[in-house]
Amino acid sequence: MTTEAPGRALKLEPIKSIKKAPKEEYFESGHRTCQGCLSSLPMRLMAKAAGPRTIVLGTTGCMYVANTTYMSTPWVVPWMHTQLGAAGSSAIGTAAGLKSLMRKGKMKDEPINVIAFCGDGGGADMGLSAISAALTDIEYNLLIFLYDNESYANTDIQTSGQTPWGAVTTFSPPGKKHRIMQRRWKKNVPGMLAAGHPDTRYIASGTPAVPVDMMDKVRAALSAGGPTYMHVLDPCPKGWHYDPEHSTELGKLAIETGIYPLYEIKDGVLNFTGKTKQLALGRRRKPVREYLEKQGRFAHFKNQDYAYFQKKVDEMWEQWIIPCVVAFSYGGPINITTEEPKVRNNNVKRENASWIGEPGHAHEEHEGVSDMPNEPWRDDNELDEYPNALPSMGQ
Amino acid sequence: MSSGTEANTPPVAQDSAAGRSSTEVREEAKSVEFTYRGIYQKTLAANLCKHVVMAARKRDWLGSTIQRYGDSPERNGVPAKQFAVIAPDEMRLQEHMAKYEPNELDVITVLDDTLCDGVESWAFYGRQPINLRLRRGGTLLVISNRSAEELLKVIPRKPWDWTLAILPGTPSLGGLWVYRDDGTDMRVLGAIARTRPDIFEFSAVESVVNEDEKLGEEHLAALRDGYEEVVIHEVAAGVGKEDDYEPVRLPGYKEMREGIIVEARKLGERNPDYKTSSDRTMRPVVNFDTCIKCRQCWLDCPDECFDITEEGFHPVNYDYCTGCGICAQVCPVEDCIVMVNDLEFIEEGNEDVFPMWKEDKEAYHRWREEKIANGRIEHHDYFNADTWAWSGGKQADRTS
Repeated sequence: MTTEAPGRALKLEPIKSIKKAPKEEYFESGHRTCQGCLSSLPMRLMAKAAGPRTIVLGTTGCMYVANTTYMSTPWVVPWMHTQLGAAGSSAIGTAAGLKSLMRKGKMKDEPINVIAFCGDGGGADMGLSAISAALTDIEYNLLIFLYDNESYANTDIQTSGQTPWGAVTTFSPPGKKHRIMQRRWKKNVPGMLAAGHPDTRYIASGTPAVPVDMMDKVRAALSAGGPTYMHVLDPCPKGWHYDPEHSTELGKLAIETGIYPLYEIKDGVLNFTGKTKQLALGRRRKPVREYLEKQGRFAHFKNQDYAYFQKKVDEMWEQWIIPCVVAFSYGGPINITTEEPKVRNNNVKRENASWIGEPGHAHEEHEGVSDMPNEPWRDDNELDEYPNALPSMGQ
Repeated sequence: MSSGTEANTPPVAQDSAAGRSSTEVREEAKSVEFTYRGIYQKTLAANLCKHVVMAARKRDWLGSTIQRYGDSPERNGVPAKQFAVIAPDEMRLQEHMAKYEPNELDVITVLDDTLCDGVESWAFYGRQPINLRLRRGGTLLVISNRSAEELLKVIPRKPWDWTLAILPGTPSLGGLWVYRDDGTDMRVLGAIARTRPDIFEFSAVESVVNEDEKLGEEHLAALRDGYEEVVIHEVAAGVGKEDDYEPVRLPGYKEMREGIIVEARKLGERNPDYKTSSDRTMRPVVNFDTCIKCRQCWLDCPDECFDITEEGFHPVNYDYCTGCGICAQVCPVEDCIVMVNDLEFIEEGNEDVFPMWKEDKEAYHRWREEKIANGRIEHHDYFNADTWAWSGGKQADRTS
């Protein structure tokens, strides 16, 4: 079955090097962001990677408030504001709407990227349920793009579920009696979503400090077909308190110290990328202190605090069943094979993916197998019978 | 007939405005504005506002402060304003507090001299002149090491006489929770007491500082220093830069589209309604001769400022550069991109300098060397580990 379904994914080639990055900007200059804001950079890179046939949905947060100042916008592609926890639901609604309009012939049938971005407050805290729901709805092509600046930065830095242990925020000022007020370890959102949504074909983590890697991941996510998720760590000069010129440097340090891993999970197979891959292969991790002491939000740390932070990061690398991704070790004998990794997700429509034919993604094996038995709800013949029918109306 | 009456009205209105001139009538409410760099000087401005109100209370006046909502949440470096309003009685204070921001200001204090060439903090204002709301006979107080002649090249003229007071010094920059207690607040208060004793007398603010247990001898010394150091220049009507401020024309409800729909940008068009150059304290100057065309600056710039020319060079669009310095950090070639104080470019403005290099490489090179020699800045001067606020103004002792 090779017919391209309405709402199919756009096929985007990896960029691979800076010089091959598209010159066109779809997120332009003229936004009210901080000096050295590394949350606006992923917006630009994401739009650049996705290209002109894209709809972007933005939940409330820095990148909504600062970017659409009073009747002016830096967006070249269509952009819409949506509610704080609604990244998942608005993405599903938009993707479903487009698909339906294309099915009914009210709109030109072509692949359109749907990207919903959210901050760590809007995504990892409030919008988590909607994102989770979106990632199980494999019928629709969409990308949930979480930019993580580790606090509610838009309202002057309050603690979020992504704020690292010990950091100063408006809600966790260190005092004389209690030095450490933020006592929660950072939530592992991409790992959690990957573990809990086995049908999601692409989940990745990136950072704008490594821009080409990030753009390639956006392209892979958009090409995957079905709902996808991407987590992006953005150094925030205002909340992390450092000189804005060090934004890129701090993003790279987060990776080199092993605090934030770069990886992609493609059809159930996890691969570390970039510097994280080297760390996984045994390269020495930099001490976390090098990263922490460059930021004012950790200025109250004493030696034992650095030691505790280092211990927790070491645990992530040495005791988790998959370093930095799956947050537990195993207690008893379980069957871990040494064979080639198995590609999963055969039940998702495969013709939408761009990586057909790549090693580990041999499409030929499945050619004879119809997708239909695995997707009894999907009946494309319905189109011929009821050209104007909405599939969800049960006709 | 009707047009005749209209022609007659303006002089009448002008006369009445002159009659209300604030400096003559002592009993009117007075407003002091603090224009500052968002986040970096937020605590400094709040501290100053507090002390203006406290000093006013010393002579039985009432006072209150406003942080303009439009600037909160603030962004790093984006120009922002806080106001202190003082009045002889409750009624007049409330009359002034009921406004979004004061319409006329007795004193405008500029806490960073690179703000003098205009502030654009919020799209519906456009780029406002620094002294836009300065009252007839008002005072503009600037912290700067530059001369009045230099500053008046960027500060717009007024149709009436006003006072430019310059307090020698460099801007004091902190962070969101970090207050840099380097005496700048005291020096500014001393300077206001000297230039405008009608706002508060030196003795009033001195007794406020004396009564505050947290402030010590060094603060009093800074207060006196500001009082003595400030240099006052009387500026005549019409002296200064040509005022080219055009308020942004706001669309009426009939022009707005259903829903809240705004036209998207065209491909290759930067947002013309909000330019970010007034965020900048320093700007990158590029050496096109040593550029290896690696595109790192172009890709890493969070404000999309770098263009790509046919030859593969990256000139900066200074209308949108916020001066964060990331480009200078990521550039692999030494001294290819150098950050230079923005006030060195009064003549150039935001003009593109790439054509200058193309035309005459030697001249460009000389120009670039001169700018770097005069105003090179290695870092924003606020990442200072000695001044963290949450450990009592001192760095935490990490060994214990």
